[in-house]
Amino acid sequence: MSIVVENVSKRFGDFVALNGVSLSVRDGSLTALLGPSGGGKSTLLRVIAGLEQPDSGRVLIGGEDATPKPPQRRDVGFVFQHYAAFKHMTVAKNVAFGLTIRKRPKDEIDARVKELLELVHLDGFAHRYPSQLSGGQRQRMALARALAVQPRVLLLDEPFGALDATVRKELRAWLRRLHDEVHVTTVFVTHDQEEAMEVAEQIVVLNHGDIEQVGTPRDLYEKPANEFVMRFVGPVSELSGRWIRPHDVEILTEPTEGASEAQIDRIVHLGFEVRVELSLGDGDSTWAQTTRTRVEELELSEGQIVWLRLESAPVSV
Amino acid sequence: MRSKYALRFLALGYLALLLGIPVALVFINAFQDGIGAAWDAVTTPEAQHAFWLTFIMVIVAVPLNTIFGVLCALAVVRQRFRGRALLNAMVDLPFAVSPVVVGLALLLVYGRRDGWIGPWLDDHGVQVIFSTPGMILATMFVSLPFVVREVIPVLREIGTEQEQAAATLGANKLQTFFRVTLPAIRWGVAYGVVLTTARALGEFGAVSVVSGKLSGQTETATLFVENRFQRFDETGAYAASVVLALLAFVTLLAMNLIKPKESQG
Repeated sequence: MSIVVENVSKRFGDFVALNGVSLSVRDGSLTALLGPSGGGKSTLLRVIAGLEQPDSGRVLIGGEDATPKPPQRRDVGFVFQHYAAFKHMTVAKNVAFGLTIRKRPKDEIDARVKELLELVHLDGFAHRYPSQLSGGQRQRMALARALAVQPRVLLLDEPFGALDATVRKELRAWLRRLHDEVHVTTVFVTHDQEEAMEVAEQIVVLNHGDIEQVGTPRDLYEKPANEFVMRFVGPVSELSGRWIRPHDVEILTEPTEGASEAQIDRIVHLGFEVRVELSLGDGDSTWAQTTRTRVEELELSEGQIVWLRLESAPVSV
Repeated sequence: MRSKYALRFLALGYLALLLGIPVALVFINAFQDGIGAAWDAVTTPEAQHAFWLTFIMVIVAVPLNTIFGVLCALAVVRQRFRGRALLNAMVDLPFAVSPVVVGLALLLVYGRRDGWIGPWLDDHGVQVIFSTPGMILATMFVSLPFVVREVIPVLREIGTEQEQAAATLGANKLQTFFRVTLPAIRWGVAYGVVLTTARALGEFGAVSVVSGKLSGQTETATLFVENRFQRFDETGAYAASVVLALLAFVTLLAMNLIKPKESQG
């Protein structure tokens, strides 16, 4: 189902969490709400779920006004950062919860639970308690629980935020594949631009309660609407008063027209990628991202004087 | 190493002096004329009635205070309203106010001649003071805070996410309470119930003021103990004390038996 957010505002005391936000999410898509903490992304997700009531504005799910409905009547699946597992229930009972509430026949519940536990690779864990699972397993259980009732939309609030880096990467790829299988309209909140870029089809950048930009990962990287988006979705460096991507800075060893003179302060080897930190003539510092091969070709060394030029058609604001 | 033993010795010694030795002496004195005499002393009609009345106190006060305690804890932790802090502080009043004062306060409200609503109730055939209802009220008052105090920290600790998850899964408020919240706080409630029961079993001061102490009529087990003691029936007093102590002990034991292992969340 599509989600439409119309002019939604929400304050907590003096703090403006959402400042007249409007957004449209296509049926069956996978959207990321990206932004710094306090930017309003979690509040927006909770407003869509009905866990927060907006001060003004409307939320439409599948074309119908959901604003006056309590969360239990919105048919949304919600996944929390800290899993919100029912600790006193087994994994199977957790997953079955929504179906039990809906008083479905026992056979149907058992079959559905089995199917979902297979989907999230937790078959064999049905009779364990959440305390006996790892973080990643608990979150997969929470996802199965949310999917059990076949929600119209699936909402995930920093779903991988509490997991360690390796598990997070695994689950990201897995969520992507899951979405290809299940096709439910999915919106997830993250503060990690890499996560948003890797998983989402559409990214919504939120900051200070306002939407800064909506676009595909590539749009955001190549055509950032403003400095905030540019800085948030990738590395930046400054040259001649412009914000640019550091891989768009070309290092030359000969003076060239239009190139600025700079001295190399430090060369940091990060494997294949090399980070060159430089001081410009006017005292400003900047940095360029290049490769090991290139550094060797140019025989760059610390203290050396070089000239910096922008690559053709750079991304800048 | 030595300080470790010193600490244990101190803790155990303190407990022995305050609790162990006096309670042991009660047991010894109860049976000084033999088990038969003790048995006879606690099976007289007056004694049986006293234990029956104590049972009534517990069976009414504990469920009511449990329901109130859970609702009150929910209001204090989950809701924001004016007077929330006041409610939270008021609940502790029975801890602070002496039971005798509670008894006198009940007299002022329900007294048959001079009470606030006592005369009106008396006209309608309801007698509170010198009767079971007043004693139940006194017991409820003194045992009020236990469930609230045990449940509040547990509610705070579990947070609201499980309840929100239940809501998004289609559960209404009542379903969420019975399927998610209540199971999550059950050990807090259970511990509160045990403490409430123990307090209701042992209440003396407030009940003493409102009961009128009519032997075989408005005499609970604790009042029976005092009555026997005043009449130099030491066997009766100590034997009834032993029964009370055993009841409290069984209550605590039951609690420990049903309590889950620490490892299982």
